[in-house]
Amino acid sequence: MPAPTSALLPRLHALVPRGRVFSSPAQLAGYASDALGYKSYTPDAVVLPADAEELAAFMQGARSLGVPVILRGAGTSLSGGPVAAQGGVVVHTSSLKAIRSISPDGFWCEVECGVPLNTLDAALKPHGLFYPPDPSSGPVCTLGGNVATNAGGAHCFRYGVTSNYVLGVEALLLDGSLHRFGGPAGGRGHWREDWKRFMIGSEGTLAAFTRFWLRLLPLPEKVWTFRATYPDLRSIEAAIHGLVAHSAYPAAIEMLDPRAVTIVENSPMAVGLPRDSFLLLTEIDGPAPLVDARVEPIAEILRSTGSNDVAFSDQDHLRQKLWKARKAAGGLLGQISPDFLVQDAVIPKRALADILQFLYDEADAASIPAVNLFHAGDGNLHPNFLFDSRKPGDLEKVELISARLMQRVLDAGGTLSGEHGIGNDKAAYMPLVFGPDSLRLQWAVPAAFNPAHQLNPLKVLTARRFTP
Amino acid sequence: MKAPQPLTSERLFTEFVDPVDATLCVPANTTAAQLQAQTATHHLRFPLLADPAASLAEHFAAATHAPASHRFGAHCDNVLGINWRLPSGRTARIGERVVKTTTGYDWLRFLLHSGSRFGEPLDYVLRLRPDSRFHAVARIDGSATSLHACLHPLLRGGWMHWWDAVDYIAGDGPPFLRIAIHCPPHEADAFQNELSRIASQSRAQLTFTPSAFPSAPSTDGLPDIVLKTTPDRTTALADALARHSVRCVALCYSGVVHAHLPPERARAEHILPLIQPLAPDLHALGGDWRSRHLPPPPPATAEAAWLRTLEDALHAH
Repeated sequence: MPAPTSALLPRLHALVPRGRVFSSPAQLAGYASDALGYKSYTPDAVVLPADAEELAAFMQGARSLGVPVILRGAGTSLSGGPVAAQGGVVVHTSSLKAIRSISPDGFWCEVECGVPLNTLDAALKPHGLFYPPDPSSGPVCTLGGNVATNAGGAHCFRYGVTSNYVLGVEALLLDGSLHRFGGPAGGRGHWREDWKRFMIGSEGTLAAFTRFWLRLLPLPEKVWTFRATYPDLRSIEAAIHGLVAHSAYPAAIEMLDPRAVTIVENSPMAVGLPRDSFLLLTEIDGPAPLVDARVEPIAEILRSTGSNDVAFSDQDHLRQKLWKARKAAGGLLGQISPDFLVQDAVIPKRALADILQFLYDEADAASIPAVNLFHAGDGNLHPNFLFDSRKPGDLEKVELISARLMQRVLDAGGTLSGEHGIGNDKAAYMPLVFGPDSLRLQWAVPAAFNPAHQLNPLKVLTARRFTP
Repeated sequence: MKAPQPLTSERLFTEFVDPVDATLCVPANTTAAQLQAQTATHHLRFPLLADPAASLAEHFAAATHAPASHRFGAHCDNVLGINWRLPSGRTARIGERVVKTTTGYDWLRFLLHSGSRFGEPLDYVLRLRPDSRFHAVARIDGSATSLHACLHPLLRGGWMHWWDAVDYIAGDGPPFLRIAIHCPPHEADAFQNELSRIASQSRAQLTFTPSAFPSAPSTDGLPDIVLKTTPDRTTALADALARHSVRCVALCYSGVVHAHLPPERARAEHILPLIQPLAPDLHALGGDWRSRHLPPPPPATAEAAWLRTLEDALHAH
């Protein structure tokens, strides 16, 4: 039987004497949902450890609290990840925000879990280095959340996702033990097995992370950004196929549908995009002698596949404006709809137009607006369904469309999630992906590290319920 | 929402080539040369192999990186899925056929280099890259000072992303740098000019050798020992091993040293004395070592319990 909140609070204060404990309804409301928003789960309490040492002390005492423990960074997850789905204590790691070391010649840095992504990039820039994963929530999302969800972003088409760049993870288990899996060198360390592989993308279900060692790359010398508009899905799909096969290796290939473009153009982020077309955004980078010579061949791919409106620039202020508009588009959805649900499926790119048309047809038939803005180069869809959870039947319609979409994605050879993680939003679909043997392997991982499922229960696998 | 019906069998991968997604599925015993022949017909390549005669399974059991990891990342960033035969004899699907996934816990990266400890691979799904139709190998010779002066612009400059590989070769005569280039033919001059500039600035000598198309996989062969450290320590580690007459290919950005031994020395009694003095420093940095000629070390105390849980699941019927 979990302890009542009144009994819990003194114990929390004892575990984090230098940190903070929140328990008032107004304070807890800020932690009731992630960026998905439409489902809320008020935690029993929130603790903010003052530093890594206090987080370690909390984790050592957490098992005896007898309530779920949910690690949380900035709460920008889009999968119902860092929420108290079974009640319990949310542990907000925002105080652990030190960039401890940058090794320019070793191409690695050591950071605490609460460092915001863009803060790291700003610190790396003077060294001529960057950390490639770039989710749209970069100004606020934390590296802890990025590692927990194996975050991606627009430039992952060429550069890869978070797991490609994590060299080491320091993890606190609920038995109070502290482990370093890997380190600056990115190997196994003294372990026989490479345990960090399970930690990355584990969505807070295995351990609390305190710090990471991340691999870095030199900043590209020069960048060209292109935008092109298309009248229909078939022609933009052809352009995407042409770009992914090109030896210029575009860093990013993004697509916005006419609804997404209109939302951007109706906002203060407007950059003068044509509203009634599908928009393709792509970028190439490299040393000037190479990348300048690649501009016209890329433009020709965009034109030859059906665009009458191709524009490109190497001017930083113009490029940044375009990217700002792209990255803000997801957030703007929250301003035009009471609720939205975003999916994260990945599909083989030959199926792009077919699956997008299926999605529009399903949503239109249910009178649910669907808006698409996504990482087309990776085949990583982000359909946003706009609805009002207070309106009877709306949520059920969205969930039904999502279920049909997921089945269609899997039939095409795709998967449920490319960069958001499963959380509790997509956990119900996991039995569609894993057969009996692979599902047993999935269960074995939390059974090894967090057998009582006290850490972040009801996530990844729906039956992961904490039983005190 | 009504719960979906669980699958009653695994969604195993079947052999395929998807030129649009640049992915393919092949048996694990496919050799590098066979794979090269298959991908070349689609103007694609899998650049991370080192021995034309060795199978994919042998490659992934022997090493975690290849010279072209400089540009494309470790093996585990380029293998998307595996049909994995469990110790029970059943087969599980691990991973996906699409290029990114966060669906569930990452068994793929955990199993890929585990050899036969937890079962065996039957098929791999690989991520391929466009074949740009021009391949060259550049060699830079010079003094130790010159070579290290060349390494800085090769690794820290804007061209870094576009070399296929930057390797430091030691233990086979005087050390030298080997840079692999893969680009469209019309860009070859730009690559050669940049390398000439780097070499001349450092008073080193450049030899630029284009190779026939289609380009053959690297012919270093499978390494006998693989050591993982940080990039800034890689050449020193290679030099340390080279003093024992070991040919070393240091993958400079990846922080990996591939050590190649004469066949008569590829045995535990020769390998362990080479490694034991180096291992503590490697481990302290979160690095490691492995050799395809030696069994893995016993598990550390803390991981024994985790392994038991995983092995129970792997062995279950």
